[in-house]
Amino acid sequence: MSTRQSDSTDGFEEPDDDKLFRDRVRENPRPAAVWLAGLALLLLLEIGRVFAGVGQAFGIVGFTVELFASIPASVGDNVAGTLGGAAGFVATALTAVLIAFAITVPVSGSVPDAAVDILGLDLSRRGRRWAKRAELTFVLVAVAGLIAYTPVGGAFSALIGAITGGVDALASALPSITSRDLIANTGHRLPDGGWEGTFLGLSPAAAWAIRTGLVFAYATAFLVWLWRGFNVYRTHYRLADWTPRDDTVRRFRHNYWGLFGFVIVFLFVVLALWAPAVSPVEAQHNIYEPNAHEFQYLDENGEVTSTTHVFANLQSRSDGQNTIGPMSYDGYGRWAPLGTTNRGQDMMTHLSYGARTSLVIGVTAIGLGALIAVVLSLLSSYYKGITDIATVMASDTIQAVPALLLIMLVSVVFQEANHPIAQPLDGGLLLALIFAFAYWPGMWRAIRGPSLQVSEQEWVDAAKSYGQTPLQTMRKHMAPYIAGYILIYGSLLIGGVIISTAALTFLGLGINPPTPEWGRLINGGQSYISTSSWHVATIPGIAIVLVVIAFNALGDAIRDAIDPEADVDESEAATAGGGA
Amino acid sequence: MSRWEYFIKRLLLTVPVLFSVLTFLFIMLRTGPIDPVAARLGPQAGAADRQQLRERLGLNDPLWEQYVDFITDFITFNFGQSWVVQAERDILDIAVGAAPATLWLGFWAILLPLFIGIPLGFYAGLNPNTFGDYAASLGGIIWQALPNFWLCVIALAVLRRTREGGELLGINWYTLGPDFAARDISITGTPALEWFSTTDVLMLPMPYVSDWTALAIDIKLILPPALILGSASMAAELRIGRTAMLETVNSKFVETAKAKGLPSRVIVWKHIFRNAMIPLLPVITSEAFLLIGGSVIVEQIFNINGLGRIFFQSLTQGDLPMAGALLFLFTLIILGLNILQDFLYTVIDPRVGYDQ
Repeated sequence: MSTRQSDSTDGFEEPDDDKLFRDRVRENPRPAAVWLAGLALLLLLEIGRVFAGVGQAFGIVGFTVELFASIPASVGDNVAGTLGGAAGFVATALTAVLIAFAITVPVSGSVPDAAVDILGLDLSRRGRRWAKRAELTFVLVAVAGLIAYTPVGGAFSALIGAITGGVDALASALPSITSRDLIANTGHRLPDGGWEGTFLGLSPAAAWAIRTGLVFAYATAFLVWLWRGFNVYRTHYRLADWTPRDDTVRRFRHNYWGLFGFVIVFLFVVLALWAPAVSPVEAQHNIYEPNAHEFQYLDENGEVTSTTHVFANLQSRSDGQNTIGPMSYDGYGRWAPLGTTNRGQDMMTHLSYGARTSLVIGVTAIGLGALIAVVLSLLSSYYKGITDIATVMASDTIQAVPALLLIMLVSVVFQEANHPIAQPLDGGLLLALIFAFAYWPGMWRAIRGPSLQVSEQEWVDAAKSYGQTPLQTMRKHMAPYIAGYILIYGSLLIGGVIISTAALTFLGLGINPPTPEWGRLINGGQSYISTSSWHVATIPGIAIVLVVIAFNALGDAIRDAIDPEADVDESEAATAGGGA
Repeated sequence: MSRWEYFIKRLLLTVPVLFSVLTFLFIMLRTGPIDPVAARLGPQAGAADRQQLRERLGLNDPLWEQYVDFITDFITFNFGQSWVVQAERDILDIAVGAAPATLWLGFWAILLPLFIGIPLGFYAGLNPNTFGDYAASLGGIIWQALPNFWLCVIALAVLRRTREGGELLGINWYTLGPDFAARDISITGTPALEWFSTTDVLMLPMPYVSDWTALAIDIKLILPPALILGSASMAAELRIGRTAMLETVNSKFVETAKAKGLPSRVIVWKHIFRNAMIPLLPVITSEAFLLIGGSVIVEQIFNINGLGRIFFQSLTQGDLPMAGALLFLFTLIILGLNILQDFLYTVIDPRVGYDQ
């Protein structure tokens, strides 16, 4: 802000406006270096988890690539089934080329023109662009064919396997400050009253509290680091003393309702990201494979014996007759900060991993839906005419079907058929994709007005007449103006996605066990609300309410912060979470 | 473009939309990942049975012929018979039989929020930044974020508890009004809707209430689920009613009315109230979307044999043609409501429609 040291006196001779961000950092590297050192320190503390996260990211990328790679073959199979083998082969090849082409369009802009010049053709700008895309497509298809049909593929997958294996090995070998090995909270009572196997011999409750506290402290430190980065950029490296974004941030900081929402959303995200550290027992032991894992406890006779989780879970159910309530130990010395579920599993573990499920689904669904909405709104407002009408038709069709029922039908159809897409997260990915499919028309309608307005602006005409490609015009000159709107709608809709996911799982149509989900907890505890096991259905319900309120508050605050005068149609977004 | 032209254009646009919905259903049910024969016969059926059923369902016909058959069947409401849920019964019969319960639920789910949400919102807008305003707004925010299914579960538990002496505010839900405990009926279930008879007035049959107790029982059965089903709309009405009221109160014509020396009662009722209703209209009509989606959950938990519950049953029991037919009927309802909404706009608010 105004604290930026002003060196603009000599700016007349040498206007520093032309300097790139990189040059500005090079001139004054100290603040950036300090900030990056902070990042290094933070990452070092959690290095094991960082590698685990990288490994998971690899897994997701691998799954996506495999999914896309399997499309041509499955399309070909379908066509071959009705029209014969030759047609199937043609269809496979065509689909592969189409997918490759779709991938090249957004990236071809960043490929140097020299790639086309070697062809030695005399091309117009337009022709050059298409030639570049065709070239890239050819390369992509060739590489894909090489991997799919020749021995190169074997070497390639071996390489990938080696890399992912190395990352996984690093993830398990490197320490983290919040790991269970460092601060263990699973142990057994000793006959003389102490605890064996826990961190410093503390009680499991204390050890768990320390670990959880550490997680939240770490996450807060990370948040502070981010905020500091913004300030460093603002004071040292930004050219302008003031930009509208400063006002946005200032308005948000003074909106206490929005800050409340932000805090809850932050807690929710931390709970989801650090689910393995926050849960008192390992999910793998307690929920996924209770048969395969044993632990030790002090039995009634004062002897340390071992048992499996599946047996211990049976004895510690909260089902009206027995109750392991919040803040208590079960009969096997396992600490249950939120009590146990009706099946005897640990509620806190369920809650944190369920947060992970909700977050993954919400972010995937809204991210994908927003992407579709933005791309279509840009295309339809840029090209208008038939593109616009086709998009209107598609969105009207999807909106004419009641969203929740549409989601139910599609999810049942894919799950009954055991489609491979229904496997990840026990149906979670499928649900996210269906939500994206059902929710993009709403978002598209919401940003249609603004994007039509932007497309009429003079700077868009100017960009066109300067020969900018349609893609560049849309990305550079139109997209920034609708980004704010999509952010607002996205955060208002994400609460609706979380509620609907929980509702579907409650009905038994959404996410199948064993993947933890909040709706299933409520379903399991619904008969025990008026008994001593009231907590089973109440705690996840309150969690849903809090998270949804928080996302709504955050969305409202973002709207007010971006543009207090913005005329955002409330009725559409405001009712999004309803109906479930 | 005049506003009637706009209306007719919207009307015409519903035809292709209807066809694309049908196409979507066809793709999902016939060419989707699920095999209709396997879904109906189960995995252990013999090859001969399968072949026979394929022939009977017309699955061996060319795809385009199946498509044309599918579309004509749906357009003429010839949905065929249910497979599992109420086996061998006509789907249309089942739907018609289940519709009254859902309509009764929907009627109350629209009416209750109207008479709670809008007055509260207007109250909050007339007294901004007072304790009452904050209480109403906060209540609306929380009420909107409460998941319907969780509310249903909690409400049922609380209501059931009132029977065993754990009375809520001194009220025993079972004995309040028509006594359910004495009649030995459950507080959940399908309303019988047999409280009216018809009499001929000038040769026309006119319904009248013949059994007031039965009416009271039906209302009592439907009140909790309707209140929950309408919760999201109630919150939306409260919010938008408050904003609309605030905007109208601060507008120029209200200032003029005040300057004229009109009594505040007249200003509120004649000048503010009527203008603040305009932004609420779309909210009220769009409630139907929420009601249809939410009816599945609420009817399932409250044991009401309505359309939503039958849709849910047909999904969980693998009766996909029935699910598809019901979804198509719901779509028809929504398209009809869309047209109604456009019509109301065209008639009521001349500013809406063209220029877009």
